[in-house]
Amino acid sequence: MGQWDPITPVTHHPTPPFEVTMRKGITDALGLCAVIAVLIAFFSLKTPYFLTARNFTGLANQVPAAILVAVGMTYVLITAGIDLSVGSLVGLSGAVLGICLDRFGMPLPFAILLGMAAGLLAGTINGLVTVRWALPPFIVTLGMLEVARGATFLLTETRTIYLGSRIGGLASVAVGNISVLFMVAIAVVIIAQLVLDRTSFGRHLIAIGANDRAAFLSGVNISRVKVTVYALSGLLCGLAALINTARMASANPNAGTGFELEAIAAVVIGGTSLMGGRGSVVNSLFGVAIIAVLSSGLSQMGIEEATKRMVTGCVIVLAVILDYYRTRLTAKEPGIAS
Amino acid sequence: MRLFLGIILILALTAGLTGCSKQSAQSHKPRIALVMKSLSNEFFKTMADGATAHQKAHASEYDLIANGIKDEQDVNKQVELVEQMIAQGVDAIVIAPADSKALVSVCKKASDAGIVVINIDNRFDTGALKEAGLTAPFVGPDNRKGAKLVGEALAKTLKAGDKVAILEGAPNAFNGEQRKLGFEDAMKAAGMKVVTSQTAYWETDKANALARSMITAHPEIKALLCANDSMALGALNAVEESGKTGKITVVGYDNISAAKQLVNDGRLLATADQHADQLAVYGIEYALEMVDKKGTPADKETPVDLVTKAK
Repeated sequence: MGQWDPITPVTHHPTPPFEVTMRKGITDALGLCAVIAVLIAFFSLKTPYFLTARNFTGLANQVPAAILVAVGMTYVLITAGIDLSVGSLVGLSGAVLGICLDRFGMPLPFAILLGMAAGLLAGTINGLVTVRWALPPFIVTLGMLEVARGATFLLTETRTIYLGSRIGGLASVAVGNISVLFMVAIAVVIIAQLVLDRTSFGRHLIAIGANDRAAFLSGVNISRVKVTVYALSGLLCGLAALINTARMASANPNAGTGFELEAIAAVVIGGTSLMGGRGSVVNSLFGVAIIAVLSSGLSQMGIEEATKRMVTGCVIVLAVILDYYRTRLTAKEPGIAS
Repeated sequence: MRLFLGIILILALTAGLTGCSKQSAQSHKPRIALVMKSLSNEFFKTMADGATAHQKAHASEYDLIANGIKDEQDVNKQVELVEQMIAQGVDAIVIAPADSKALVSVCKKASDAGIVVINIDNRFDTGALKEAGLTAPFVGPDNRKGAKLVGEALAKTLKAGDKVAILEGAPNAFNGEQRKLGFEDAMKAAGMKVVTSQTAYWETDKANALARSMITAHPEIKALLCANDSMALGALNAVEESGKTGKITVVGYDNISAAKQLVNDGRLLATADQHADQLAVYGIEYALEMVDKKGTPADKETPVDLVTKAK
């Protein structure tokens, strides 16, 4: 909890000045990089092949889908919302992509467009329902989690659709050893961060999350911004589904199951508040990196599943506790405390 | 809006009425309840579809009430389903228990109510059966034997001393455990060394990340043995992404449709076919036999076949 605690309404500045969030963002990023460095150092000492170029390029090729979902989730959480449907939307978009290619034999570009459109449509429905009936997004997106997964089972007949070379080629396009998909994900992160920092839309996200009443009174079209945010989250799920499907060369009816919790964990580790009003897309990227490094390192050590899960849980909570102290430190600096 | 609700109500009523009339008209036939595990899993979906198709072909011989749960962790829901089936007064329950112990006591209740209980897919724990005093014959394949077949096919392409890794099924699954044991049997017999064995929860995504980590940690491994085909799909892509195509062999289990194509393409060396579409049918046929003749129940093993590329 920091300067944008919803209990103390901010009347002068519904949104912090750009330089302040920027500075906070950078200290956060440094803290997260330190966590990553500690993890890497630990696993490098414990396992022989962790500190190799191949391991890191492999990790980079593995995370793009998770990054994209986390970007959408960051925006949603900043508005003090939540999107529990992301995993199912990844499944649904992948299923649409899969049947377009397999059953209807469409050309790849059309299939990709339709797959992403499915994510966009479902996300837009999330937003519209939330806004129209002023419902908690927790409930609306929980409903969508079920609906979209059901639709995925229906479309795929609960069978994995094997696509092979009809789509697998996308995943092997690479510059050096880094797949283009990873670069796409990084580009999305950079664009999303710039939009958050430098555009009025980005400022509105933070204003709504900090105090939506104040945002409304200062003339922000809250409904439109919220619908856009859920639609964007859905669209990014569509893109994540494309990447996932391409990498696995198949559309799996259970693809993306559990993505929602992984994405929320990554975003919260990155310092975005579940209460809304603050967050950083770049730091969510670091959150994804922490989870990926941790899970890969633990697997390479070959330790027991029970231990793996306990360690993962502890690291998630510790990273957020660290954020608490960091926030207190920055809050003491003049000009940042509210 | 009101009109809309009205239409729904009418539809619901008519559906209910036709449902009732169907039931009363056919009440002289034996009614078999099929209680399945997760229908979000291709394997169980195939089993359930096979049972429905069989019932359609033998519609004059028996009625089928098929139900499943959302995911394999949802044990409570499955207990409720069995209770509902007892209340419905079915003649037999064919069950693929989500948990090999937690379902025993409710099945005992069914058995006490005079319902024949047939166990398929996931075997009840023998200790729990004995303690509850329940006899539920197991009709199904020997997963350990099937996995051993796959492991032996793999061993033929390897040398003694080669290192391999296993991707296990979900930690609480009996059949997953059996498949792991079967893989180990075959590897031990042929002198290969299992360097690591971890779970990927039957899932493609998780298997992909896990396989990649295994390959990084043990670059010398020659094969990945996956306890199901979904995981084999993920593992295969990890092998290709690590630039190890041709150097690491992947095998799976279940013979799902995607795996068939991979075996034909030569990318997946082998998988095992337990005839998923027939598994529930075997159970149902045995249940009908028991309802009809009231014989002494005994376990019944169903076939498992090795699937490799046709030569």
